[in-house]
Amino acid sequence: MAKSKKNSAVKNKTILVADDEPDVRETVKMILEREGYKIITAVDGDDCLNKALMEDPDLILLDIMMPGTPVKDIVEKIEDIKIAFMSVVRISEARKKGMCKQDNIVDFIQKPFDVNDLISRVNLILK
Amino acid sequence: MGSSNAGFSVKNPLFSKLNRKLIILFVIVALVAPALGIYYFYIISTSVLPESVSIEQSFLLQTTAAVIIIVIAIDAGIIGFFVSRSISKPIKELYEATKEVEKGNFNVKTDIKTNDEIQELGNAFNRTTATLNKMDEERKQLDNAKSEFLSITSHELRSPMTPMKAQLQMLENEYFGKLTKNQKESLAVVVRNADRLDKIILDFLEISRIESARLKFNFKETDLKEIVNETVEFMKGFAKEKKIKIVAIVEKLPRIEVDPDRISQVLRNLINNAIKFSKKNSKIEVNVTPEKDHILFSVKDYGCGLNPEKQIRVFEPFYQVEKTSCRKYGGTGLGLTICRGIVESQKGKIWVESKPNEGCTFYFTVPVKPVREIEPIKVLFSEKDALEKKIREEFKIMLGPLGVGEFYELKSKNALWKDDIFEYIDLLTEKHIISDEQREGFKNRISNIFGEKKEIINMKEITPDGDFKR
Repeated sequence: MAKSKKNSAVKNKTILVADDEPDVRETVKMILEREGYKIITAVDGDDCLNKALMEDPDLILLDIMMPGTPVKDIVEKIEDIKIAFMSVVRISEARKKGMCKQDNIVDFIQKPFDVNDLISRVNLILK
Repeated sequence: MGSSNAGFSVKNPLFSKLNRKLIILFVIVALVAPALGIYYFYIISTSVLPESVSIEQSFLLQTTAAVIIIVIAIDAGIIGFFVSRSISKPIKELYEATKEVEKGNFNVKTDIKTNDEIQELGNAFNRTTATLNKMDEERKQLDNAKSEFLSITSHELRSPMTPMKAQLQMLENEYFGKLTKNQKESLAVVVRNADRLDKIILDFLEISRIESARLKFNFKETDLKEIVNETVEFMKGFAKEKKIKIVAIVEKLPRIEVDPDRISQVLRNLINNAIKFSKKNSKIEVNVTPEKDHILFSVKDYGCGLNPEKQIRVFEPFYQVEKTSCRKYGGTGLGLTICRGIVESQKGKIWVESKPNEGCTFYFTVPVKPVREIEPIKVLFSEKDALEKKIREEFKIMLGPLGVGEFYELKSKNALWKDDIFEYIDLLTEKHIISDEQREGFKNRISNIFGEKKEIINMKEITPDGDFKR
């Protein structure tokens, strides 16, 4: 994919990227902004919860291991925003099932991710 | 004294060997001392008294003498019993405690209150076990710390890989402008090595799971033929470059409960290895046959083969067969170690048979019944060496110089597990090389080497950890 394809449908979609690692946040932001999404970032659990409630994004890319409010509590409080987990730790299928009980949890992204795979997953979620 | 009773008889605690020895000693002394005394008394009395009196009284004297001797002997026997028991009882207690220590239980304490040297010995023994216990605790802590460190470090190492790999991919995909040929080549080297680093970290994580019994298996009833064929088809892609043919010969197999991903993982590793060491245009054969209570898998190549020393060492982490060619072959050096961990976690066996220049065959077994309680397999720093040394000594003692050869024969087949050795000992008995009595002794000592205790380290979950799928 040499050229980005900014289509109009994508333009008004907002994604909240919550990861305590600045480089991961910035990298994901760079990749998805190029695709035409509006990106906001959160540095920890508390920040994520605040911004999710205030900005009402269309999707949250949520790292499952962050300081601050535990992921479990964040997920419980947000029921109407789509959430995709990100994790550097491999999670068993059984555990994934346990974690994805809510309807708004839509994907599980393994880090390190493939750039194209990330884009296509996000596009699929927000199409 | 029954010589058949080895050591202290546990079944008959009233009369131990030592007990009997002391009682007999007391009785002999009690017979000899009064007998001598009475004999002198008799001589003196006959020489002093007139002959007529001594003859008249001789019967009375003899009876009295006999009664005295018998009474003293019985008394001595009874006293001897109590005296000897006061000595043999604490010794027996110490012996039992030592046997516990031998099994690896360092929590034993003796409670000897004889107020003599035996009590001192008991106290010294207690202090020794306390020290051993402390050392054992420390060893376990160290071992846990090692596993934890390995696990945490691997995760910490993996985190930076995320932005690194993504940014590299963006560069490679010319997100930030066109690249020159030189820039592309340079970037390709970085990408290749970042991938390699990531693979090593993944293998480290896998090793840490094996070592701390956190390896996950998803058992399901599986058609093994399908799994083997799928894996072989997948690996054919990697064999194309060297034009190597991969043939799978799978016999009719029962449907068994296994983790198909794990089987495939081990097979892929072995086939990958075989491809690395095969010559161009050669062949790799994958065989699967059902045996008594397990399924036997084998991967045969026609490469350079391995000498016996290397055959044993290939499963060690980071062991490279050829120091000079290792870089050419690449890989993380942990593939076979991981295979061993996976196979042994399921109580299976993995080994290699080979002759230099004729290629090698890697074998592994998968039990028909899955093992759900996973135990830690020490693949990095194994106690195997110390264990094997002890077994070799036993073989030497039992069979002389011949034993050492036999030991290595078993070792090369990775048949130095308790059951294998027992089977071998039974065979020796069948062939009348050793007697039935020797067999029991041999087996007992081998059992002792392996120890009866099973140690399961309950490592706390540091991170939510899952299974491994590729």
